[in-house]
Order: sequence, then structure tokens, then C-alpha cells
Amino acid sequence: MAWDFGISKEEEAYRQKVADFLDKELTEEIARQSWEDLGLDVEGRTFAKKLYAVGLMGWSWPVEYGGKGLPPIYDFILIDELGKRWGAHVPNDVAYTMVGHTILRRGSAEMKKEFIPQIIQGEIEFGLGYTEPEAGSDLANMKMTAVEDGDYYVINGQKTFNTESHYSEYHWLAVKTDTKVSAYKGISLFIVDQRAPGITIRPMITMSGERTNEIFYDDVKVPKNRLVGEKNKGFYYMMEALGSERNYVFVPSRYLPYLNMIVDYAKNTTFKGVPLAENPMVRDKIAQIAVEIDMSTLLADHARWMEWNHLSMTCEPEITKVFVSEMEQRMVDSAMQILDQFCQLKEGSKWAPLNGRMEWEFLHSFMTTIGAGTSEVGRTVIAQRGLGLPRG
Amino acid sequence: MDFTYTEEQKMIKEAARGFLEKACPNVEWYLDMDKDEKGFTPELWKGMAELGWMGIMFPEKYGGIGGSFLDLVVLLEEMGYAAVPGPFFSTVLLGGLTVLEAGTDAQKNDLLPKIAEGKCLLTLALTEAASMVYDPSFIETTAKAAGDNYIINGVKLFVPDANVSDVIIAAVRTSEATGDKDGISLFLVDSKTPGVKTTLLKTTSGDKLCEVIFDAVTVPKDKILGSLNGAGAVITRVLQYAVVGKCAEMLGGSQKVMEITVAYAKERVQFGKPIGVYQAVQHHCANQKMAIEGSTYITYKAAWMLCTGLPATRIVASAKAWGSEAYKKVAAIGHQIFGGTGYIVEHPMPIYSRRAKAAEYAYGNANYHRQVIASELGL
Repeated sequence: MAWDFGISKEEEAYRQKVADFLDKELTEEIARQSWEDLGLDVEGRTFAKKLYAVGLMGWSWPVEYGGKGLPPIYDFILIDELGKRWGAHVPNDVAYTMVGHTILRRGSAEMKKEFIPQIIQGEIEFGLGYTEPEAGSDLANMKMTAVEDGDYYVINGQKTFNTESHYSEYHWLAVKTDTKVSAYKGISLFIVDQRAPGITIRPMITMSGERTNEIFYDDVKVPKNRLVGEKNKGFYYMMEALGSERNYVFVPSRYLPYLNMIVDYAKNTTFKGVPLAENPMVRDKIAQIAVEIDMSTLLADHARWMEWNHLSMTCEPEITKVFVSEMEQRMVDSAMQILDQFCQLKEGSKWAPLNGRMEWEFLHSFMTTIGAGTSEVGRTVIAQRGLGLPRG
Repeated sequence: MDFTYTEEQKMIKEAARGFLEKACPNVEWYLDMDKDEKGFTPELWKGMAELGWMGIMFPEKYGGIGGSFLDLVVLLEEMGYAAVPGPFFSTVLLGGLTVLEAGTDAQKNDLLPKIAEGKCLLTLALTEAASMVYDPSFIETTAKAAGDNYIINGVKLFVPDANVSDVIIAAVRTSEATGDKDGISLFLVDSKTPGVKTTLLKTTSGDKLCEVIFDAVTVPKDKILGSLNGAGAVITRVLQYAVVGKCAEMLGGSQKVMEITVAYAKERVQFGKPIGVYQAVQHHCANQKMAIEGSTYITYKAAWMLCTGLPATRIVASAKAWGSEAYKKVAAIGHQIFGGTGYIVEHPMPIYSRRAKAAEYAYGNANYHRQVIASELGL
């Protein structure tokens, strides 16, 4: 035991393998489907299966389901290498980085056998069915219900901001199974066939052009064996997964392409005959972006390290989440100031700098401090769980 | 990857915490040290020497403990936590490590055991009024050869603890012109040498920063530390140690500030509730926590990289660019939460916020280090 910020030889060998593959195979189209949450199209699906076929998926998953039984660092390496190349996350990332882990922890033997191999092989994706119109930060306030009826549960109600559902095979759904007990104690998790009769999916288009969805359930029948773990334990399962999910979702390497982009721009652009790279203000702003990416990386590495050493995480992934999401907004703002008037030009426009990426990122960055929990909720978690400050 | 202290480091931490709690007993004592010309007591210094702290990083053959830079960083973190005053940093990091990096065997044999025993105090006279950047290229103080001696002329500024140092290591120009990276040499100057005039400056933090005037100071040739004209790389290396060492002190100081702030937020009652219940206060504390988590890992990563010998320029600069602002922010939040109480001179808060300000500017402020990073990025 001693301070060590390096990775092992074996880990480095895997990283190199992933890097070589991605440099050849990860095209701009595929990366964008993932990065911009456009939804996986044919190319993305094919790419997901190819990642498995060449033996790069599942290293951190149990051997019995087709994995290699190694620690989570291998999956983190995979995600980091994708992020460095605009890949943002593993294709089918809700399945691979979120849902799959809860199935492993809480699912029945039968459920694991059915779903885990498909997840590792890049075959299936899940839509995350948590948020409702009246249940945002206050998730336990959800109203959607599942009522037992013979061999089935019958589900009614509405979800919103379920981003992956329009192309996913399954819905990872949290609903009330007991409305008489306190909010936290009556929620259960289900795996629902996303195309089941009675489900209506309507698109919601965000200001940066991503598609998310609102979803309506009208007497949707779900077999009982699709209940995850025990009835009424759903909220507990969601909370126990939260730290790990943050570790997989907030990936600092994603910002490196932006940093490289703005560095290149400053080197190759002159203003009043002087390269921007020699302007002290420009240098200062870019350097601060680099410092904050360093910081994000270290915060993420630390929280991930806690996870794969089975140390109890109180607020560490939350710190990563709040810092990284706010850093993203500061980064965009600094970069846009460097681009000056050109910053507003959209992709495809005459004179658009950096392919319009920074303009898109500006629109996208409003979501980062809101999605998956607002910064305000995050700071409250850090204060109460991390520092032991009292609840109101 | 591993984010843990070694068993030895945990022992260093624990011993340091215990010793410094007793050695720096209360706010009145700190205020006395602020006013005191020396800024420390002989008992404090003797106690630190007995614990082996001065020689923590020196090889055993020079009377040291043979520890790593990471061990020293652990100790400095505790010193920052205690806000301990005195010439440890200047003697060990600026003096001892410079001798260790650049000295001849004879120089090391002579000086390092004395430093380790606490019997010799050193400092490094580097910065000058016209070259406030920590870049030796801009040194104007000169040493001219005269027979077997050199004659040093010039004015050094912000030299820590020169007023109590036995030996002042002077970074001077021995050839080339101002702006040139080459041509810098280090001289071991006995502080009693005629022509050396030290004036203590009055500072926000009470840190003993000095002006040192070298007025035709004669130094024998064999007092050149290392090689003639070859000090540039040594200074760069020593400054990296100093930067990361200062980051460790800042880290410890900010931890202490957060600790007392959070404790106060839990017990101070207003409007019928502990103020720590209110989200405005909770979010302030969360911001302290986030800033400190970042400071922790970047400080130790920079220290680790210096130990492994990997190229560290970028991460060292990143650590100080972050740390300088983080400590300042953590201290400002502390004041906000303590309110009027923390504004009183007998409160611990001003000790830390004044030191945060001094540390922010020591060995390059955030602006300076961001320029270093920009160059490292290829700008």
C-alpha cells in the first residue's frame, strides 16, 4: 500500500489494445450517436457487437457469463479510451454500466443468465425509467403503479426523460408496488419489454438536438419473473447503485478532445497578426481548462479506485459528478470567449470553427448540472453524507 | 493505482499531529511567533530535530532517515494542518534539498548531517525585485571571479528566514546576460560574511520574508554549490520540490479549516437550528470538501511523479494552480461561516487565511503556473 497513480502492465496492455482498435474502427458517425445521445443506429449496433467480437468487452464481468472476472478498472479503461476519441461511453451504456451491475447484484439466477451475456455481447440496451413529471430530484415521489394480477403485474402511469427508450429493447422501470407505505418502501424495479402492448413512446427533443422520451403505460402486463430482486426493495437497489453509476457516467477523458481542439485553434489562429497562442489571456484560459480536466480525472480515479477496492463510498462519486458537470460549463464558456463571435456559428455554417462542436457543447452543457441529479442535490449529499452535517 | 499512505507515512502523520498539537498550543502562541523576529522557539526546533524531521529525505550516510519525497510531503501536510511557523521549509526544502541535489560529496558531508541535527539553518536567495517570476533566467545578482574568490553584488527579495539562517544559498549570475537560462551558479554564503545585510519584511502571514543585500560579498571559490554556471536545472528541480511541498502545506491547512468550520456549523444555533442544517451553509461546506479532495490527489500525484522521475512539469504546475486558489477559497468560506467570531484576531481562522494568502504567492501564483501549463500544452 502506497500512493501510486500509475496502471499495471496488464492494464496498460489492455489499454493499448483498446486504443489500437478504436483508432481504426471508431468513426465519427458512431461516436456521435453515442456522444450526442442520438440513439444507436445500425452502425452503432454493429460497432457494439464488434467490440465484443474482438474481445474487448466484459473483462470486468464474471467468467460464468462470458467475462474475464477482472476488476472494474478494465471497464474504466475502455470508457476512458472511448472518451478520448469522442466516444463518450460504451455503446449500450445503460445496460453495460448501470443496469447490468444491479442485475448482477440483485437479479435471480435465471435473470442473470438471460441478460448478462447479452449485455456483455453488446446485443441489448435499456431505457432508464425513473423520472416522472412529479418525481425529479424527489424521485421517491413517483406515482406509476404495478398491481399484481395472477402471473403478471399490470402497470399504469407515465415516465419522462427516458432517453434511450426509443431504440432500446428493454425498459428498466421503477414503479410503486405498495402505495400505502412511505415513499421509499413501496418501490420495485422491473425489466419490461420496451415494445410490449400498451406502451406509448413520444419524443422530446432537447435544445441541443438530443432525443429523450416521455412514456405512457396503459395496462401493460409484465410477467412476475421480470421483477428485479425483492418486491418493494427497488428504491434501495437504485440508491446502492448510484455511486457506481456516477463513476461510469462522468468520464473526464471526454473533455480531452475539446482541450486538444482549442489548443490547435489557438496555435493556428492569428488576431492582429499575433497567434492566439501567444496571448496571455488565451493561454491562461486554456491552461485553466487543463487544470480542471486534471482535477476531474483525479477525482474520478479516486472514486473508481474506492469502488474496485470495495471501500464504502459516501460522497466521492457525487464530488466527481458535481465537479465534472460544472467544469464542462466553465470549459465551454472559456473556449467560446477564445473563439469570440465565431463561437455562435453552427456546424455546417460557413465560417464555423471547430466543426461547430463548441457551439453544440454550449447547448448541451445546460444539461450537465441537471441530469442525473442537480448540483444542488449533489452538494447537499456531499455535506450530509460526506461531512455529517445534519438533515433539516 | 493506490490512494493510500504507507504504514510508515501513517506513523509520521500521527507522530506529527501529536507533537505539533503540544508544540503549537494556542492562538496566543501563534500571535507571539508572528511578532517574534525569529518566528519560532528553540524548543520547537529541537523537538522537530529529535523526531528526525530535518533529515527525513537525506540518505542515512548523511545522518538522515532515507525517506522519500512522499514521506516529506506527508510531514508537510501535517505542518500545514498545524500552521507551524519557523524555518523548516527553508532549511530542509530550499536549503537541504538543494545541497542534496547539487552539492559535492564534501559539501554534503559537511552540511547535511548538521541540517539533520537541527544545528544549521539554511535558505535559498532566489527571487529579485525585477524578476518576481520563479525563473532563474532573470537573475541579475552577479558573482565576479577575483583570484580564488568571487565577489557577489545584488539584492534578493522574499528570501524566507534569511534573518535566522546560518547559510544563505545565493543564486547568482556568473556569466551570460539577463534573460539567459545558462550562466547561473549557486554559492553557499555564510550569513555572517561582511557585506551581507538582511532586513526582515513585514508580511500578512507573519512569515519571515527578507530582503538580502549582497554588497561586495567575498566568497571563496570552493563555496560554489555544484558546478559553475550549472545551477539552472538544479533550481528548476528544487522549485518543483518547493511547489509540491507548499501544496502539501496548503492541503493540510485547508483540511484544518474545513474541520473547524464543519464542527462550528454543527454546533452554532441560529433561528432555533444548528446553522449546518441550512442548505446555504451545507453547500459552502460541500465546496470546501470538493476543493480539498482535488488538492489532495493532485498534490500526491505531483509528489509521486517527482519520486518516480516521470516528467512532472505539467502536473506540478497544475497542483499549484489549483492549490493556490483552493486554499484561498476554503479559507474564505471558513470566514463566512464563522461570521464575526472568525474575524477576531484571537480566533484560529485568521492564522489560516493569512497563511493561505502567503502560500498562494509562494513559488509562483496560479497565473504564473497556468502560463507554465500553457507552454507545456504547446502554446
